[in-house]
Amino acid sequence: MQGIPKNDLIIRIGGEGGEGVISVGDFITQACAHAGLDVYTFKTFPAEIKGGYAMYQVRVCTERLYNQGDTFDVLCAFNGEAYNMNLASLRPGTAIVYDSPGDFTPDIPPGVFAYPIPMTQTAKDMHNLRAKNMVALGAMSVLFNIPVESLREVITAKFSRKGDEVVQGNLAALERGRELAMALKKNDPWTIGTAKAKQDVIVMSGNNAIGLGALIAGLDFFAAYPITPATEVAIYVAKHLPKRGGTLIQAEDEIASISQVLGASYAGKKAMTSTSGPGLSLMSEMLGMAFMSELPCVVVDVQRGGPSTGLPTKHEQSDLFLAIHGGHGDAGRIVLSVESIHDCIDLTVVAFNLAEKYQCPVLLLSDGSLAFSTQNVPYPNPDDYHVVERTRWNGEGEYRRYTLTEDGISPMVDPGTPGGVHIATGLEHNEAGLPSYTSANHEAMQAKRFRKLKNVVNDVAPTEVDGEGTADLGVIAWGSTIGVVREALQRLRAEGYKVKGFYPKLLNPLPVQQFEDFGASCKRLLLPEVNFQGQLAHFVRAETSLRPESYTICGGMPFTPEMIVNKVREVLA
Amino acid sequence: MNAPAHPQMHLHKVDLKPKDYKTDTPSFWCAGCGHFGVLTGLLRALSEIGVDPNHLVNISGIGCSSRLPYFVNSYKMHTLHGRAGPVATGVQLARPDLSVVVTGGDGDGFSIGGGHMPHLARKNVNMIYILMDNHVYGLTKGQCSPTSRPEMKTTTTPYGGVEEPLDPVLYMLTYGATYVGQAFAGNVKLASQLIKDGMEHKGFAFVNLLSQCPSFNDIDTAHAFKDACDQVPDSHDTSDLSAAMNAVNAAKQAGRIPTGLLYKTERPTLDQRMAELVERVGGHKDYDLRKIIDLARP
Repeated sequence: MQGIPKNDLIIRIGGEGGEGVISVGDFITQACAHAGLDVYTFKTFPAEIKGGYAMYQVRVCTERLYNQGDTFDVLCAFNGEAYNMNLASLRPGTAIVYDSPGDFTPDIPPGVFAYPIPMTQTAKDMHNLRAKNMVALGAMSVLFNIPVESLREVITAKFSRKGDEVVQGNLAALERGRELAMALKKNDPWTIGTAKAKQDVIVMSGNNAIGLGALIAGLDFFAAYPITPATEVAIYVAKHLPKRGGTLIQAEDEIASISQVLGASYAGKKAMTSTSGPGLSLMSEMLGMAFMSELPCVVVDVQRGGPSTGLPTKHEQSDLFLAIHGGHGDAGRIVLSVESIHDCIDLTVVAFNLAEKYQCPVLLLSDGSLAFSTQNVPYPNPDDYHVVERTRWNGEGEYRRYTLTEDGISPMVDPGTPGGVHIATGLEHNEAGLPSYTSANHEAMQAKRFRKLKNVVNDVAPTEVDGEGTADLGVIAWGSTIGVVREALQRLRAEGYKVKGFYPKLLNPLPVQQFEDFGASCKRLLLPEVNFQGQLAHFVRAETSLRPESYTICGGMPFTPEMIVNKVREVLA
Repeated sequence: MNAPAHPQMHLHKVDLKPKDYKTDTPSFWCAGCGHFGVLTGLLRALSEIGVDPNHLVNISGIGCSSRLPYFVNSYKMHTLHGRAGPVATGVQLARPDLSVVVTGGDGDGFSIGGGHMPHLARKNVNMIYILMDNHVYGLTKGQCSPTSRPEMKTTTTPYGGVEEPLDPVLYMLTYGATYVGQAFAGNVKLASQLIKDGMEHKGFAFVNLLSQCPSFNDIDTAHAFKDACDQVPDSHDTSDLSAAMNAVNAAKQAGRIPTGLLYKTERPTLDQRMAELVERVGGHKDYDLRKIIDLARP
């Protein structure tokens, strides 16, 4: 099989839910990561529980990957629906592998390279209908140089629990698929490049990575309530937290879950919950209490399309207003936002560290795109992480829970400690915790609680600047949009554009000085984000002297690098 | 039943008088308020059990009654309207060695917080929930509550009520509470006995204390409550759920209030089942995280 090695290849597999689309995508991902390649996947699920169109896209690259890419180079269609769903995206040069004879006869557009493979027929002939996807996978491994040794290893590992017969059945179907492809003449130029070296990596989805980050941070207590697209965080934690002696409890609603978290936190434990927009709305009142009573807690919001029930399975970055200002009264909180799967691990640890140190709620924003995307990340060594514990009372003198201190942080005490009895209350209170509504006390206590947040910017790497010197255009991005912008800027620089990127990970308190410094180095600023109103742009305009131009989309899908490239070209034209 | 209510509570027993459990925070309740009776009953029960205040957590929501923790020498949380139950669940699961007491009103527990009540009971959270039921919203100066009788005129029902009240005791029996008792708050002897028993009970204990509001409820007075209460006879089978429900229904039809211990059963508590689960998976604090991370290797 000939082909020009392509450093960067995107394969999309489409079919009926239950046909093994997801397994094929997983096998390609695992095998490529196993072989030392970079992978970044993207999935869509049917809204229905059973059946419906399922799609899995794998981007494989010999270089570092930051996003799922523009569009696919290779389509593998298990059925007519998958073909029709993607027909509009077929362009000259695209390769398509499809089931033939199948339930459709494609009218292949000009310039598209077609490889008919009798997937269903072969599986039938082998008396193993479920192995249809393995036939397809075998064919693709030959056509596009998917590392076959790694494929055999991951397939064997996956099915070994089901017995040797199942393993051999799947491997046989894989080999049959390979033979079928070898008999074809390869016309397209696509093959996956060879990895430079094997890496020690793990492959995880964003939701699982958040769960892992929490375990590394020393999570003791997790209160769960199911909600798309955040549920998998709880599922991961439910599986692994008991091994560490911790507790996951499913609450009756999100108000109860955040309430349980605060109860556990008062009892001295590291506690968290995860949710999406509707759940975060319900938690707003209790997050105000967490700020008022100075209880550490971590709340993960895996954002989805809103408002209201909105587009539950779709991508959006539209909870920033709620995350920063949701709730009544004048309440503060720390808001972090993740760019990548790697961030999902690391910033979850940071979120716990900040919560414990500053005794306040920390919100970690992820999004629907990261939730199910998988990526390879370097194997995280738990010992490499700095883990912070709350400051506890040293037992000397009379204990006053809300002692006014220079940095606003007052030592906490766990129930059971003699001499430490105190109240955690949502009422305004004095240093001892007793109700106090005097003007002087309320002003002093508000100042104390907000004083704590001033130092946060010095405790984390709040922002990242991509590029040096001055630029004609600076692009500010948050969340998973950052990964898209990174690649867009690489392409633009290759074209000779003078562009820089600015990636805040701490969104509240806003690192104003860093924004100002970046703004001063750019002639113009662009701020792409996936929401209608331009929510980060709003905060940037409110809190800094910068006036970025908003570029907003809200179609339920993330930006592609190409969209950013085109927009920058347009702005700088 | 003299078994200690909480696994480690016997380690923390102290010898204190009821007044030693009282803080010097001045009460803000009106003269003649039934809640004083609840407080007295609670302090007496704490003294009789000998609970170490350092291992006691008193949790409340919002309302007149929810101020009670301020008057009790203990760790405490004064939380949000209706949310004392789930907050207490978090405390109890995080630290099963603590003794957890929720005190709150009928509006707090059965109106805004009503969605939580079934789950405290069915989960069998090892705690006591003391409902200070005065059939009215007092802190907001007299509006109808879910236990108000329609005969009472309130500021939001100036021409009389248009809804039927619910019976907290019947609900808690149905929801699966493993200990259900009821008393007039003015009967401090019975109230403190039920609180003590309820705290020593292993599981979710619910004690409804009928507490008069002299300021905003002029029909459910101390006299009215006292006169309407009938203690269940000694022959009442407290292990029989149907008998408990029948006793309540029969009394209600006769315009009476059944008091005393209505129902008591034993089943594993939530924290117990959690601990068993951890044991089943061989969980412990030092479990090597790498074993978990390795599962994500390709």
